[in-house]
Amino acid sequence: MTRSIPITAPAVDDLPPSPRPVESKPRRRRRRVTAHPVAGALFVLPFFLVVVAFLIVPLGYAFWLSLSSKSLALGTRFTGIDNYVRAFTDPVLLDGLWRVVLFGLVQIPVMLGIALAGALTLDAVTTKFAVAFRLIAFMPYAVPAVVGALMWGFLYSRTFGPFADLPTLLGGDPIDFFSASLLLVSLGNIVTWAWTGYNMIILYSALQGVPREMYESAVIDGATPVQIALRVKVPAIKQAISLAAIFTVIGTMQFFTEPQIMARFAPQISAGYTPNLYAYNQAFAYSDFNYSAALSFTLGFVVFVVAYAFVFVNRRRGARS
Amino acid sequence: MLSTRWIAKLRAGLVVTGLLAVAACGGAADNADGPVRVSVWAWYPEFKGVVDAFNASHEDIQVDWTNVGTGPDQYAKLKTAFTAGKGAPDVAMVEFQQIPTFVILDALVDMGQYGANDDKSLYAEWAWSQATDGDKVYAIPVDGGPMALMYRKDLFDQHGIPVPTTWQEYADAAAKIKAVDPNAYVASFGSDGGWLNGLMWQAGCRPYGYSQAKAKDQVKINLTAPECEKVVKLYGDLVDKGLMAKDKFFTADATAALDSGKYWTWAAAGWTPGYVAGSLKNTAGKWAVAPMPQWTAGADEQGDWGGSTFTVTKQAKNPQAAATVARELFGRSKTAWDIGLNKAFLYPLVKEVAADPAFTGKAYDFFNGQKVNEIFVPVSGKLGEFQYTPFQDFVFQDLNDRAAEAMSGSRQWSTVLGETQKNVVAYAEKQGFKVSR
Repeated sequence: MTRSIPITAPAVDDLPPSPRPVESKPRRRRRRVTAHPVAGALFVLPFFLVVVAFLIVPLGYAFWLSLSSKSLALGTRFTGIDNYVRAFTDPVLLDGLWRVVLFGLVQIPVMLGIALAGALTLDAVTTKFAVAFRLIAFMPYAVPAVVGALMWGFLYSRTFGPFADLPTLLGGDPIDFFSASLLLVSLGNIVTWAWTGYNMIILYSALQGVPREMYESAVIDGATPVQIALRVKVPAIKQAISLAAIFTVIGTMQFFTEPQIMARFAPQISAGYTPNLYAYNQAFAYSDFNYSAALSFTLGFVVFVVAYAFVFVNRRRGARS
Repeated sequence: MLSTRWIAKLRAGLVVTGLLAVAACGGAADNADGPVRVSVWAWYPEFKGVVDAFNASHEDIQVDWTNVGTGPDQYAKLKTAFTAGKGAPDVAMVEFQQIPTFVILDALVDMGQYGANDDKSLYAEWAWSQATDGDKVYAIPVDGGPMALMYRKDLFDQHGIPVPTTWQEYADAAAKIKAVDPNAYVASFGSDGGWLNGLMWQAGCRPYGYSQAKAKDQVKINLTAPECEKVVKLYGDLVDKGLMAKDKFFTADATAALDSGKYWTWAAAGWTPGYVAGSLKNTAGKWAVAPMPQWTAGADEQGDWGGSTFTVTKQAKNPQAAATVARELFGRSKTAWDIGLNKAFLYPLVKEVAADPAFTGKAYDFFNGQKVNEIFVPVSGKLGEFQYTPFQDFVFQDLNDRAAEAMSGSRQWSTVLGETQKNVVAYAEKQGFKVSR
């Protein structure tokens, strides 16, 4: 917005250069010619103030914090990029990053695959059942993440949950959903449960925008419903799919709520289980707000790189095909 | 005379401009207006009655109590407030293991300057030594958690298994329990830093040492002493052999297992009678308490799990009034302790309250009429000095994380304490401490 005034005030340049010293006159002139942009600026002002107060200033403050190091015994001192060097070489952070990347590599395709299949089915089937299903599939998204995680904590429980003892019906051992080997799967299931419906609705809405004529011509060409779905509909909503994917990638990199809640049930969730959890613990358990700020910026940077790489690869692939 | 509205405006102005240095003015205005108001954060059960009792017995000081969350939730808010420089209450409930952490954050007022050293003889020695650093009184003890062994008397009797008096007998009992009932366990390894710490304390392990008064940047870390290692070895062996379960304490699963005969014992604390009586309905009356198994037959070594204090924060507007609140909310207050003992089931660190026949002679239905405090009270008397680090959150978290690795099989139990020691020393040095063993 700060940029908008000079840009939208070309009239100033059109005026003949003032021979007089730049004192009172230009100001008066300026006020006259920029009357319109000022009104525009006023309209933007509330939003601008909110962005400055709740985004720019906190970001700036956090960045400033990240340039200092706090040690319990020596106090706080300015250390420049030391915290970032520490972050990029911190095995706990790197382990956590690797963990969410692995998690995302499995969970995101599974979830988006289910969401896409659901959206295509909803688009093809037009019964009352489909309407009800659409609503039900969306419902988990309306459940707050904390409540969802707690609920699943109980569903996974060996005492109260229906699933843990299922193998015993066939003579097997009960499942420990909180064990080190199953924990990521258990967490992935919660996330899939919560977000599949949401993504399904995004993709379904995109399908609604595809001109029906395309399907008709495909039918005339002799395409089966499956061929229409995969060859016509999916390419038609490619944009929406990559949008859903990019949001999911960003969300996955910031994985926090579910592991934080599940830590109450699962000792295997360590202090640095995910990068965001690590940043939280650094600040609110170990009182190292400076390093926590650096971790957050590092994570933000990684998210940016991953998201951008994703968009880039997607565009390249789009251009090729 | 100033109108109250004007004073309110003035006060608001002071806060906005951050001129807290003139807080003395605010205090004076408070007195002119009425009683000094002291804000308190605490999460004790049934605490409202204690606050009401304080407010009823004090005219010049009134307490405004908020429960902002239990343990770590409250500490997160406190640490944020101390970093921000405002937003902390005048008085905050803080557990013993957290006191040095808040001391090094320069968050606590030394109540010694307001005469709190006079209270020394009132409290159990171990508690007073943890709450203070020389003459500096950083906290006023409230409740503790002297440890003893809770066990299913009916099951032990029925199967003729002797109640263990040593840890070797405990391990033997664990095997017998498994033989009797393949679905049962002697207990659970609860993944609780304070619990494991209590067991180590009882084994004579003194892994930490810190005194800000002596040397702010010196800390002792020695987790690999034999007294500490033997605890992890015993419990690790039991877990590896499948004789000990892995449920985290205080989860629905662990509580249900205690209440269904799946666990036969629990190395528990003085506050446990209150906790279990409320949550274990099926097995009420079937439990009993025995003294902790010993590492050497016939010895009398004891440990503590949990306990809390009141501290006065550096952000207190009137530290003197806040110190009075910290000292007198429980302190000698009969009404407060009546609620504390009979409704909140706290274990009192005020010696005369703990020694009162009303407490020691109290029979618990949950323990089939056993007077369990006859066991807990002497334990508190036997507890020696035990110190914590000024970064105990990190220590407990790392210990829990390494133990979790051992539970999942990705680490040998014998390396748990060594690895924790390494991580904690590295952390301490990064924080600017000189580390000794």
